[in-house]
Amino acid sequence: MIVLQLVVNGVLLGGTYILLAQGLNLVFGVMGIVNLAHGSIITVAGLFTYWFVTHTDQSPLWLIPCVFVAMLAVGAVLQRLLLEPLAKLGTRRELLSLMVTFGLSYVIVETALNFFGSQYVSLPNLQETWSVGGLAINEALVAAGVLGALISGCLHVWLHYTPSGKALLATSQNATGAVTCGIDVRRMRGISFAIGSALAGIAGVLLILILPLSAPTADTLTILSFVIVALGGLGDYKGAVYAGLLLGLVQSGVGYYLGGDVEVVVPYLLLITFMVLRPQGLGQAAR
Amino acid sequence: MAAIACAGVVPLVTSAYILQLATDILTFAALAYSWNVISGCTGYLSFGQVSFFGIGAYATSALVLRAGLPWYVAAVIGSAIGGASAAVLGTIMLRLRGIMFALGMLGLARILMVVSSNWDFIGGAAGLILPARLTPVAVYFAMWVTVLVAFALNYFVLHSQWGLSVTGVRDDEVAAAAVGVPTSWVKIIAFILSALAPAAVGGLVAWNRSFLDPPSAFDPTLDLQVIVFALFGGIGTLWGPALGTVILVIVGEQFWAYLPDLQLALYGVLVIAVVLAFPGGIVGIANKFGWLRRKPVAAPATFPIVTRPAQPAAAGNDAVIEVRGLTVRFGGLVALNSVSLAVKRGEMVSIIGANGAGKTTLFNAITGFVKPSEGGVYYQGKLVSAIPSHQRARQGIARTFQIPRLMESMTVWENTLLAARNGKRATAAVDQAAWALHTVKLDSLWLELPNKLSPGQQRRLEMARALALDPTVVLLDEVMAGMTRDEQGEIRAVLRHFRDLGVAAVAGVEHIISAIADISDRMIVLDRGKKIAEGAPDAVLRDPIVIESYLGKVS
Amino acid sequence: MSASASPSAETDALRVENLVAGFGDLTILHDVSLTVPIGKVTVLLGANGAGKTTLLRAITGLVTPRAGRVTLFGKEIAGQAPHLIARAGIGHVPSGRELFPRMPVSAHLDLGGRLCPPDQRAALRQRVLGLFPEIAERLGQAAGTLSGGEQQMVAIARALMTNPRLLLLDEPSAGLAPKVVLSVFQTLAKLQDQGMSVLLAEQSMTFGLSVANRAHIIREGRIVLSGTPAELTAERSVAQAYLGA
Repeated sequence: MIVLQLVVNGVLLGGTYILLAQGLNLVFGVMGIVNLAHGSIITVAGLFTYWFVTHTDQSPLWLIPCVFVAMLAVGAVLQRLLLEPLAKLGTRRELLSLMVTFGLSYVIVETALNFFGSQYVSLPNLQETWSVGGLAINEALVAAGVLGALISGCLHVWLHYTPSGKALLATSQNATGAVTCGIDVRRMRGISFAIGSALAGIAGVLLILILPLSAPTADTLTILSFVIVALGGLGDYKGAVYAGLLLGLVQSGVGYYLGGDVEVVVPYLLLITFMVLRPQGLGQAAR
Repeated sequence: MAAIACAGVVPLVTSAYILQLATDILTFAALAYSWNVISGCTGYLSFGQVSFFGIGAYATSALVLRAGLPWYVAAVIGSAIGGASAAVLGTIMLRLRGIMFALGMLGLARILMVVSSNWDFIGGAAGLILPARLTPVAVYFAMWVTVLVAFALNYFVLHSQWGLSVTGVRDDEVAAAAVGVPTSWVKIIAFILSALAPAAVGGLVAWNRSFLDPPSAFDPTLDLQVIVFALFGGIGTLWGPALGTVILVIVGEQFWAYLPDLQLALYGVLVIAVVLAFPGGIVGIANKFGWLRRKPVAAPATFPIVTRPAQPAAAGNDAVIEVRGLTVRFGGLVALNSVSLAVKRGEMVSIIGANGAGKTTLFNAITGFVKPSEGGVYYQGKLVSAIPSHQRARQGIARTFQIPRLMESMTVWENTLLAARNGKRATAAVDQAAWALHTVKLDSLWLELPNKLSPGQQRRLEMARALALDPTVVLLDEVMAGMTRDEQGEIRAVLRHFRDLGVAAVAGVEHIISAIADISDRMIVLDRGKKIAEGAPDAVLRDPIVIESYLGKVS
Repeated sequence: MSASASPSAETDALRVENLVAGFGDLTILHDVSLTVPIGKVTVLLGANGAGKTTLLRAITGLVTPRAGRVTLFGKEIAGQAPHLIARAGIGHVPSGRELFPRMPVSAHLDLGGRLCPPDQRAALRQRVLGLFPEIAERLGQAAGTLSGGEQQMVAIARALMTNPRLLLLDEPSAGLAPKVVLSVFQTLAKLQDQGMSVLLAEQSMTFGLSVANRAHIIREGRIVLSGTPAELTAERSVAQAYLGA
């Protein structure tokens, strides 16, 4: 029974994790860079949600569309100002863009520390627990898991079945090829970072429902997202779905059997072990 | 000397405040130089060098508290323990590349923090109280020693013949292995060199603070500061870390008094600003004015006179390279299908086939860059399938690449010298490099960077690199592709020279068959991974199977 | 409409005048001029590194020209963003094909078809697939899993789906067995019959001259020899000295 309970919890957690990773994945796919500020955007969105809910007593779910739109704008501006200038640098771009997003993560986290303090907070909303056939199903976990999976599903539909989404997907697979089809790659880079940031924002709103967050969690979330993306294969959106579910299951199992201290370092351990053993990721990339 | 004298005067004449500031500068300079070795010079960007700071801090503390050693002995042993742990961790971490390594190191620091929090022997989460036994002046001088060691290591990596291997790894790891650089070792040694000073600094800082706990030992913000300093001064340069640290610590000291909470956020801003405005740092700017430029390694004032005597052609009918039943699969794709062939000493063999016919895979399998799924590769009669690439290169299997892979930040001279080292003494390597460049007629361009060379010259530089290894066989991937008639003539001259030297050559060719057919002893045709013909060039080119499957009915 | 459009009727699909381009400190193209007549195949012959790819990329805006003019059917396009030049009517089949490896063949056609007016898309698709029956059977297959020749056809098909007024092909023979090259070139001949203006960059003189009406030889970033295939064949030894093939 315990195992089944852990599996259910793990799958629901996995639903949120998928969303956590897809923003990072999208940015990597189109821009070829890993956004080290990804976790700090998630964290700040979560802390803001906490602040908003405790001050206004509204449901956190209202914030999802607002955060989405706001982060679209923020992401677009950040991309234009900080990352677009690096796009032409060729081979040095990877290293320099890592530096820039590394710097950006500190700017965001340290500013957040000054606003929100360093204590861990979590939302008291949606704490009902349903009992289904002997399983305890937590309302917040369901809300976060289902919404996370649903939004990731929307992203999938957009990428594969709409003209604008296909243009983005094409750019992520081959930018030069995309240009020859009249796609404005520069605009696609902006869109990818905007949507990546917006998805990170929503992920933060959902995450604060199920996990306590504080400004210093940002790094862990970046790593967690990166591990999912890397396990799934960088730039592989389907692979990230499997990897997200897998990591949800692992985290829920480790948290129960080995305790919170170990749970925190699981992403790091997985990163190192999996990357050493299978650098190409779980997904089967073409070729 | 004057600088050292001045440094000695600081603690005698100034206030405790200035002494602390000077100690801070030295501390960060030592860390910045160490970070520069692995991230700047070797190209492995680390966000977790603080791991070694923490390891050193704990090791030194434990040695003094538990073993009662004097602090300076403990600091030296602590530094050695840092280096030893880098050797162990490096075997795992350095298998990661790029972003994986960067984040893996960040993770390593986190893991070490959790481990140390749960290890009561070293104080656990509560930390260790260290009796204050060091005077600030002692710390100051100890830091000076550490900085000088870190600087010397940087100098060694940037200016020695061995250091060329490090730069080679940064520029192109595959090409480095192909010219005999033991890349795994080079990376681990660089990693060890980058851990020594941080471990010593960690021990000294812990004693200076008289307190050590996991968050202060493995503080990730330390890496942020170190990266800011090195970046500001100029990554991968000899003077960058010192310049960046001195300027930013002194400027920062004026600022933080007003903005104590925003220090790290402003460092973040600074990283972004430097990358966007002047990614080469101060040294990068200085270089534009001709200052602080790096000098080529082991380059004499003028091109050395070639003294190497002409070698008699080694005769013999024995097979130098033999491939038996070689099959290579990538997933479902069969790139090579049970190919067998042998190349004799001094023989010139051309292998023709379209892209995807398996030429490059064949070369990669012979040189050890891909593992055969079945079959074996024999070199001078011995099975070499289990021997790593760089050793095969050192034993005499040299290669060039389909698209020339030259070390972009190294001069023509250094590119060749790197290959010429191959276990030789320094002076012998210089002679060998000069000979190889002279043989391919690139003497006059020896101090240029590869991106200033024409495509034909780049190919010849790759051939010089191959020759510098003293090979018995050279595999040339697409050696004529894209060459003008003049350039082809120059390459043909080098290939003929190979024969005089008794060096076997295997040349992969796609379209330009005429330029290679008349100097080939034998021709082999690959088609979709299979050998479909072999023999004298004339016979092969008239072979109906070859015409049918490869050439088509050209009128 | 036709009277006011241009005083002298346009005879050239593309006119390149005194084009200079390069990367960083390096100048690759020095003062290149050439024209591509409407409805004809023009071939640009040159060895690797001679500047063929850079010239094509400078025309399509992937490399920004430093100086000179590029006129497409009388309209100046030099210096515009590459996606705008694609929209202006240049179909570019880049070197290396630059496909989307994990997307199916059909998606390549759709993405190219973005630039074709919606009401003409279906008809154009029919025509393009008619030229390439091999890939018509593989519409659902991921491009990365196709053979080299099929990938080349997908790249050309994708460019044709943009409904271009001028087609630029960058070494479609690269990496293909001579036999497959012949079939690609036969398709080019068909396109010319349909009135397409084509600029073809090619290393091989034999392949290049077999389809072209006019040829230019580029060497070290300069046009060194121009003429009809017959003229170049007559001077074959000279031409080959420049090309090496």
